[in-house]
This record gives sequence, C-alpha cells and structure tokens, in this order.
Amino acid sequence: MTDLELELRDLGAHLDIPPARPVLGVVAARLVRRRRRRRRTVVLAVAIATVAIAVAFAVPGSRASLLRFFHVRGAAVSVVDRLPRLTTHRPLGEPIPLDTAPFRLLLPDGRRPEKVYAGDGGGYWLRYPGLLLFEFESDAGIDILKKATLGMTDVEYVQVDGAPGIWIGGRHALYLPGGPPRAAGRTLIWQRGRLTLRLEAAVGRDRALAIARSVR
Amino acid sequence: MQPPGEETLVEQARRGDSAAFEALVLAYQSLAFRTAFVIAGDASDAEEAAQDAFVKAHRALGRFRTGERFRPWLLTIVANEARNRRRARGRRAALVLRAPPEPGAAGADPADALLGTERREQLLAAVQRLRDDDRDVLACRYFLDLSEEETAAALGVARGTVKSRTHRALVRLEEELR
Repeated sequence: MTDLELELRDLGAHLDIPPARPVLGVVAARLVRRRRRRRRTVVLAVAIATVAIAVAFAVPGSRASLLRFFHVRGAAVSVVDRLPRLTTHRPLGEPIPLDTAPFRLLLPDGRRPEKVYAGDGGGYWLRYPGLLLFEFESDAGIDILKKATLGMTDVEYVQVDGAPGIWIGGRHALYLPGGPPRAAGRTLIWQRGRLTLRLEAAVGRDRALAIARSVR
Repeated sequence: MQPPGEETLVEQARRGDSAAFEALVLAYQSLAFRTAFVIAGDASDAEEAAQDAFVKAHRALGRFRTGERFRPWLLTIVANEARNRRRARGRRAALVLRAPPEPGAAGADPADALLGTERREQLLAAVQRLRDDDRDVLACRYFLDLSEEETAAALGVARGTVKSRTHRALVRLEEELR
C-alpha cells in the first residue's frame, strides 16, 4: 500500500461520520405492515389475525418510539423509549385442574405446579414457588404475547434445544389480549413444538435456559 | 451456544422467518448506514436509504441465489438507494473531519496533531474535488475498508473496473494535491 493509500485510510478514521442510527425497529414495523396488507388482499380473516407492531402500541397511554423489535412465533417484543403505566395486581385467570387444559401442558422437570389458571388469549398459567410459566398454542400464527421493554434492558435472541427464543433481562410491559399492560420481570420466551412458552422468574439467563430445557 | 451463521439466517429468512431477517438487519444496519452516509453525505438521507434498502432486500430475497454472499448483495442495494438520494438532492453534502482533541488532551503532541489535521483537511478537500465515481471508489476502498468484491457490488461495476478506477482516482488525487 502506498503512502497516499495509507493517508486515505487514516483520513477515513478521522471523518465525522455520525453514529449509525438503528433502523431495525422501523424496518421490522414496515415489513409487518407490508405483510399485513398482502394478507388482507388474500383473506380478510387472516389479515385481522396478523398483528402489526403499530397495533401493539395502539394501547391507550402508549406514545413510545420503537427502537428495536424481536419476534418468535406467537410473541413480539418491542424495545421502546418509555413504558406505559403498568398494573401489578392482575388476576391470572380462572383456576382449573391441571389435566383439563385442551392440550398437554409441559412441566419444568415434570413437576406439578401449585396452581393452574386458564388465562386470556387461550393460554394457561402454571404457578410454582418463585416461577410463573405461561403456555399457549402458537401454531395459528397469531401473536398472543406482546411485550414492550426499555432501551437499556437486555433483550436478545437465544435458542432452547435448537428452537428460537427471546431473553428479556429486566422489567417490561406484558400485553395479553383484552387487558391492560402488566408489569413483568426477567422472562424467557421460546417455542416448543406447537406451543410457545413464557417463563418468568427472578433468575439469570443461564438458569432460565436450564429450566426451559428441563420442561417436558 | 453458537448463533446461527449468516448462510443459515439468509436461508431461514428466504423461507419467511422474520426473526432471521431481523438478525441480519441487526448485523448489517451499522455498515448500511455508514455506506449510505459516505455516498450521500447526509445523515437523514443515509438513514432513509438504509431503511429502504433493507425493505427492498427483504422483498428481493426470493431472487437471492443460494451460495451468493449476502453482504455484497446488500451493499449493492444500499449504495443504489444512497446514490438515488444524492441525485435527488442535486448535490453532494461535503464530508467533514471530526473535531481535533482539545489542546493539552492526553496523547499526541499538539504540534503533531495540528500538522495531522492540516494534512487531513488538505487531503479531504482534494478528495471532494474529484468526480463522483473517483470519489466513490476511494470512499468504498479506504474510508469504508470494503474489499474489491464489495466495492464492485456497491458501485455496480466489474471487479476489474474497481482496480482500474481506483488507480485512476489515486493518480487524479495526487494531481489535485500538487
């Protein structure tokens, strides 16, 4: 490389190039909107089921900007610059016996939960000491779970036994159909067969992944 | 656990996996913005160019050939978007140098730093006086550190053209500096 080429390299390192502006959130939202428009032309019912991120934030009181977007089947996580007002005491649903759910509920280490509740959106809550599991059939392609978290919260894609998942390492808003956003803590969401599962517990990412792998 | 490789992500994205495409956007959004900024010279244009490029790339995934490399393919789309905006604006915004460190800041000798800044300003002014195609090839190769293959993709020319155009641009730059 000649002296002039070396000088050009050095010049490149001293240029005032502004920090890259993240575009993932906007791109993801545009793709979701585009997919929604396309589906609407095919089958209106399918279009209704297709949930755009813009719809996720059409919640009263939410005027947040979308910074990043994560998605696994049945669940969407949006990283925003502020959270809406959250409720902390919301009943999980009607208590039911474990074996009355319309699909076989998966259990961590095969252990029976303290309580099972039929929740909103066709999902089921399993309550254990210090751990809350939510399971639903996600093969219909509808996003049942929607979550919003702040930009400083650690959110990343993970894998559980080769299936995609999302780890949220802090406080966030949980949206379920038909209710106000609820405050939630550290959470792992992952796919398992026809189901999508959500585990909430005050544990770190590795421990949450270990629990998720033990679910059967 | 190893994250899925680029080829796997592209293949999953082609099959409609939106999470895989988002992982690709996340990996390349910074490069896309920098490339668009160096070509368009304006941060807002660069941001719009990067956004539109990813949306168009997603639409074009069906035409992506198996075994092709994703990065140069994406750079072609990004650079096209950035050039369109530059044309629409009718002029190129000038690149500028970062502000030099305050005198007395830890590190370089102030006299050396001043000389370095002066020389860089002189060099940058000479680059700005070049024709667009000369300036673009130097920007891709030396400011963005793109390979010849990636530069060829970004500029929409053959790899051999990148070699000859780089040589020609360096000769013209030397003339500008005399």
